[in-house]
Amino acid sequence: QVSVINTVDTSHEDMIHDAQMDYYGTRLATCSSDRSVKIFDVRNGGQILIADLRGHEGPVWQVAWAHPMYGNILASCSYDRKVIVWKEENGTWEKTYEYTGHDSSVNSVCWAPHDYGLILACGSSDGAISLLSYTGDGQWEVKKISNAHTIGCNAVSWAPAVVPGSLIEQPSGQKPNYIKRFASGGCDNLVKIWKEEDGQWKEDQKLEAHSDWVRDVAWAPSIGLPTSTIASCSQDGRVFIWTCDDASGNSWSPKLLHKFNDVVWHVSWSITANILAVSGGDNKVTLWKESVDGLWACISDVNKGQGGVSAVTEGQQNEQ
Amino acid sequence: SRLVQVSKNYRSVIRACMEDMHQAALSARDPALQSQYSTQVSILSAMELIWNLCEILFVEAAAAGPLMLRLLDWVRLHICDVDNMVREVLSSENPSKHELFWNVVDVFVLQGRMDEARHLLSKEASANPTSVNMYKILDDLMKKMPVPSLGNTQTLTEMELKWQHWHEECQRYLQDGTFASNSHMESICKILLGDERAILERKELMTTWYHFLVTRLLYSHPTVKPMELRLYAQMDLFLGGESSPEPLDTILMAAFEFEMHQVIKECSIALSNWWFVAHLTDLLDHCKLLQSHNLYFGSNMREFLLLEYASGLFSHHSLWQLGVDYFDHCPEYGRVYLELHIERIPLNTEQKALKVLRICEQRQMHEQVRSICKIMAMKALRNNRLGSALSWSIRAKDAAFATLISDRFLKDYCERGCFSDLDLIDNLGPSMLLSDRLTFLGKYREFHRLYGEKRFSEAAKLLLMLMTAHIAPCSFWMTLLTDALPLLEHKEVIFSAEQTYELMRCLEDLTAGKVDKQKFQQSNPTSARFQDDVETTKVEMLRLALARNLARVIVKEGTLEGS
Repeated sequence: QVSVINTVDTSHEDMIHDAQMDYYGTRLATCSSDRSVKIFDVRNGGQILIADLRGHEGPVWQVAWAHPMYGNILASCSYDRKVIVWKEENGTWEKTYEYTGHDSSVNSVCWAPHDYGLILACGSSDGAISLLSYTGDGQWEVKKISNAHTIGCNAVSWAPAVVPGSLIEQPSGQKPNYIKRFASGGCDNLVKIWKEEDGQWKEDQKLEAHSDWVRDVAWAPSIGLPTSTIASCSQDGRVFIWTCDDASGNSWSPKLLHKFNDVVWHVSWSITANILAVSGGDNKVTLWKESVDGLWACISDVNKGQGGVSAVTEGQQNEQ
Repeated sequence: SRLVQVSKNYRSVIRACMEDMHQAALSARDPALQSQYSTQVSILSAMELIWNLCEILFVEAAAAGPLMLRLLDWVRLHICDVDNMVREVLSSENPSKHELFWNVVDVFVLQGRMDEARHLLSKEASANPTSVNMYKILDDLMKKMPVPSLGNTQTLTEMELKWQHWHEECQRYLQDGTFASNSHMESICKILLGDERAILERKELMTTWYHFLVTRLLYSHPTVKPMELRLYAQMDLFLGGESSPEPLDTILMAAFEFEMHQVIKECSIALSNWWFVAHLTDLLDHCKLLQSHNLYFGSNMREFLLLEYASGLFSHHSLWQLGVDYFDHCPEYGRVYLELHIERIPLNTEQKALKVLRICEQRQMHEQVRSICKIMAMKALRNNRLGSALSWSIRAKDAAFATLISDRFLKDYCERGCFSDLDLIDNLGPSMLLSDRLTFLGKYREFHRLYGEKRFSEAAKLLLMLMTAHIAPCSFWMTLLTDALPLLEHKEVIFSAEQTYELMRCLEDLTAGKVDKQKFQQSNPTSARFQDDVETTKVEMLRLALARNLARVIVKEGTLEGS
C-alpha cells in the first residue's frame, strides 16, 4: 500500500509549479508563480527552510538538481526567459550563472547524466532547446537547437548514460565515448529524440501519438536491459509509455497507460524505473506499475484536494 | 527438514516481535499509541497464523496422518480466545460446579485434547455418582479413539479400519440412548461422531471457520490427504449469511486450496509491508515449490518481491546495509538495483562514505566508486579541507579535480610560504602521476625535503629537472628560480656549469616573454606596478647569483684534482 509520508507547507504565495527532491532525498526544492525558488531540508519528516532564492522576474516553471559530485547545484527556469543556475558556497546559495539566450518563456530544465559532465538542457516556448555545458572556471558553453518544436518546447528529459560496447572491457582512465541522447516534448504534439553526432545535435526519432500539446516527457532510468522506456503525457489526457527494444534505438512502440479526464501535467519515474508517478489537473497524483502481463496498473492515488497538482517527483522515500 | 527449521525460526521471530509489541502496548500511556501497538500485535499474530499454515502445508508438506496432528497443533496454538475461560474453570475450587464447566470440556473435545477432557470429566463423575456409568462409557470411547501416529507403527489403512470400528461403536451407544439423560454428554458423543450440526452448535467456542474445519475433519476424516483439504474447506457453513470473508480468511482459504500464488498475491494486497511476502516466497522458492507452478513470471516472483523489499530498506538510514545483502541474492536484477540505490545513500559522514565505498569495491562497482569519491572530494573542497579533497580525488582517479586541488595547494604555498597536509603530499607515491600538476606538487615538496636534509646536489638536480622537463607550470618558474637562489649563493658550489647554463636559459625564457608574462600580472592584479619592481629586482639578483656561480664552477671544474 502507498501512503502519504509527509506534507510540506512551503508558504509560497502563489501556485507551486514544481517540486524536486535532491539526489539523496534529503532536500526539497520548490518553485512557484511567486517568482521564488525555495529549498527545504526534509530529513526525518521535518521541513526547515534553507534558502529562498529570488532572481526571476516571472513565474518559475521548473527546478532541477545536478549530481552531487559537482556540489550543491540547482537550476531553475522561468517565464522571464531566463535560466538560472544556483550554487551553494560556504553554506549560502547564490546565483552562479544566468542564461538569457531564449526569446520566450523557458519551460523545462533537465541535467544530463553526470558521466557527460555538467550539462543542462533547456526547452523554451520559442521552440528552441539550448544545451549549457560547464567548461570550467565559471564558463559555460552554449549549443542551441533552433526550431526543435514548432510553437514551443515544453519538456526535456535525458536518457541514462549507457556505455557503448559495455560488454567489452574499457581501458580504465579513458573517457568512454557516450552517445548522448535526450527526449523532448512540444506544442507540435510530438515527442522527439535527439542524438549528438560529431558534436552536433540531430533529430533522431519523432514519436507521434498525442493529439494535443505534450506537457512532459520522462526517460526511465536504465536497469541494465537493452530496452529504453520513455513516458510522455499530454493535454489530451493521455499518458503513453514508449519502449524501444533494440539497442540502436530505432523502433519505438507506444502503449497507452491511461486516458485521464483532464490535462496531465507531469510524469516522473522512481529510481529503479518500476513505478511511474503521474499528476494531472484532476487533482490527483497516481502511481503506476507494470504488471506481470505487461499491463500498467494503478497502485494508488493520493488526492490532494486543494487545487490542482502540477508537479510530481519520485524520491526514494516515496517508494513504499 | 532444514527448511522446516528455517520456517520455525521465522515464526519465532514473528512471535518475539509480537511479544515486544504487546509489552509496548501495555506500557504505552498514549491511547493512540496503544491502539497502534495493539493493531500491530494483531497483524503480527495473523502473519504467524498464515506462516504456520504455510509451513504445515507447503514447507513440511505433511502427508495424510501427520497432517491432522499438525493441523490440530495449529488450531490449539492460535485460537486463544477460549484460554481465559479454560484457566478460570481449571483454577476454580470445584470445577465441575462451575457454570462454564461443560463449555471447557467441549473446547477440549473440539480441539481433540482427549486427555484433558477426560480428566475434567472424571471430576464430574466423582461429584455426580448417578452418571458414573455414562461417564465410564464416554471415557472409554474417548480413550479408545484412534489417532494418527507419527511413527510408522501403523499404516493409514490400519488406522482407517480401527477408526471405522470405533466410529460404529460410538454410533451404537448413541442410538441405544446411553447418554439420553445427560444432554451434555450426548452432544459430546455426537461431536465424536462428527455430527456437523452438533459441532456447529458450539460455534462460539470455535470462533473461526478454520477451527470448525479442523474439528470436522478430526471426527469425520482424520486421515484426510493434503489435496483433499480443499473439498472440505468452506466458509459458508460457519459464517452463515451474515458476514463476508476478511482478507485473512481469503488467504487461509487459498492456502487450503494449495494455491500458493494466490496466497502470495492476497498477502501482498493485505499487508502494507513487503517483509512477509518476500521472505515467505523466498522460503517457498527454496522448497522448489514455486517453479512447479506454470506462471509467466516463473522463478522471478521471488526476485521481484525481494527487490521490492530491499528497495524499501534503502530509504532507512541504517537498514540500507541489509538491503545490500538482499540485492546480492537477486541474481538477475540485484546488481543493477544496487548500483542505482547505493549512489543515493546520503553520505553525511566520512565513515558512511567509506562503508558504502567498501561495499562498491567488493562488488567491483567502479562507476559508483568513482562517483562517490568525486562527491566526497567536492564536499571536502567546499569545506576547505584540501588534503581530504586531494585524497578523495586520487581515489576517484579524477585527474581534472586533482589538478584543481594541486593548484590550490600551490597557491596556498605562494601566499603562506608553507604547505598544509604535508603528510599526504609526502606519501603520494605513484598516485602522483594522476595529473601533471599533482606530480609537480609532489616533486616540489620532495625538493623542499631534500633541501631540508641538506642533500643539495640532489635538490638542485630535481629543481632543474622540474623546469626543463616542463613539469612545473610556467607561472611557478619564478618561484622555483627564487628557490634556487640560496643554492647558488651556498658556500659550496652546487650547480654544475651545465646546470647553471640551463638555469640561465630558463631565466631568459622567462623574462624574454617566451613564457606567458600575462600569467604573472593576472595572479597579482593589485599593485602590479610594485610587483614589477619586485620582479625586476629579483631577476637582477638571480642574474648576479647565476653569474657568480658560473664563475666559481668554471674555476672548480677547470682545476685539476690535487693541484
